[in-house]
Amino acid sequence: MLPAAAVFHFPWEINTDVVKDGASIRTFGRLTDYLPEESKAILTSHHASVQHQVSIQTSFVEPFDPIIGAQYIVLGEIEKSEDHGEAIVRARVFNCVDGVDVALLQKAVNEQRAFFMERNDEASAQ
Amino acid sequence: MSSDQDAAEDEPPSLLWGLDPVFSAYARLYVKDLLQMRESRQVPGVYFYKSHPLYQVDVLGTVVYRRERDDFYCYGVDDGTGVISCLCWKEEKWQNHGDSGKTAGGPAGGGFNIEEQLRKLQEAQRSSTVLEIGDLLRVRGCLKTSREQREIQTSLFYKVNDPVMSVQISWMLEMPQLYRDCYDKPFHIPSNELSAGSTELSGFQSVLCQSVPILKEFLKEKEVIRFRPYDVEYLLHPLFQQPAPSTSAQQELDSVQSIIPAQIRNLLKETLKILQEEGEIFRKVLSQDEVYNVTEHDKDLLAAICDILREDCKREKYAEKGCHELHILSSVRQRYSRNLSREALDVALKHLECNSDIISTADAHYTVL
Repeated sequence: MLPAAAVFHFPWEINTDVVKDGASIRTFGRLTDYLPEESKAILTSHHASVQHQVSIQTSFVEPFDPIIGAQYIVLGEIEKSEDHGEAIVRARVFNCVDGVDVALLQKAVNEQRAFFMERNDEASAQ
Repeated sequence: MSSDQDAAEDEPPSLLWGLDPVFSAYARLYVKDLLQMRESRQVPGVYFYKSHPLYQVDVLGTVVYRRERDDFYCYGVDDGTGVISCLCWKEEKWQNHGDSGKTAGGPAGGGFNIEEQLRKLQEAQRSSTVLEIGDLLRVRGCLKTSREQREIQTSLFYKVNDPVMSVQISWMLEMPQLYRDCYDKPFHIPSNELSAGSTELSGFQSVLCQSVPILKEFLKEKEVIRFRPYDVEYLLHPLFQQPAPSTSAQQELDSVQSIIPAQIRNLLKETLKILQEEGEIFRKVLSQDEVYNVTEHDKDLLAAICDILREDCKREKYAEKGCHELHILSSVRQRYSRNLSREALDVALKHLECNSDIISTADAHYTVL
């Protein structure tokens, strides 16, 4: 069976209510920490002068060659534990994309969102 | 559901689909739309995005699912809006080369080995058709529905090397623009295609509709056997004089001379073309001298057909059923004129049958008593 579509989300949205438990998402960030014994990686990014961290469960994509400090793109499912809001992304795809133009990528994601928003508005208006 | 039905009724007739440029292009749509588009009621395998009919698509996305079969790979491709399975055939030549490559790939000295280089090149080509989960895939192919599931039967696919996501980003930026400029704009069938409007072309068409019967009538009435175009050109002059209100003979002559003669000649050319297509006239020999024979009045042609039938119907092969039209055609072409068209033969046979010179026995078979 085909998995659900992984929708683009910014790292600063992962820990908000925008992203629900179990959702398939893709996001990006700089790999700042990797704990092989726990199969856990941390992606870090900055937005509006706040640092955001996303925890990644990497057991599905191991072994991989971790490059600390490089930009990564992750695609997987969100797991939110009930007691505290910390979300974990169970990665299905974990690609190094170091050198990516993050600003342009954000623009592309926003353009796509704006397009679908516009379309939904039109559809509901009819 | 009702809106679905309404939409299906709006479906333009399939005859006009080709006028929409989207139809003959590989449509670059979001996977979400590929999965939700409705299928045409007239032709299965054709889908409608809004009013655009299409069947070929172009998709770029991440491979999130992979299954290998004997002769194809099935990849699930995720573009961030949906996941669709893509059926990618394995190329036979790679399967063969996989074996021969190993045997021929021995150590070959230090020099430049062209076979070795070729093998490397093929290996590089082959590797771009075998993907793993997480790779970026670009596919073009036909959208199909099999077992209630949409899938792409790829005609072209390759792994995209996109280390810094530049291809994906530019694709994402392009898509909304494409939708706004093209796919979301309704396709309007040009009105003159639906009903001949008052354009210049249809003006010519209407004159043509008049000129064909005029010429036919003339050929029939005067029992013309053969003619050259300039013999009948004057017949078409009245068609270009309608707007002239004054009808003095002198003025008429003037106006004829003032018309662009090319226009009349063009009309005559088209008229003769139609008459030839209908088989009313034909050219016995193709030469500089443009002579047209009138099929029904060409005594030699009619006699030749009767002769052929009389001779061949004696043969045992044709005795019972008569000769087939195509047999007559090839005989007449040998004996009388190589340029005789099938349409002209039809006209001649009908004429002979009307005069009871020949009899049709079965479908397209003729005999003579």
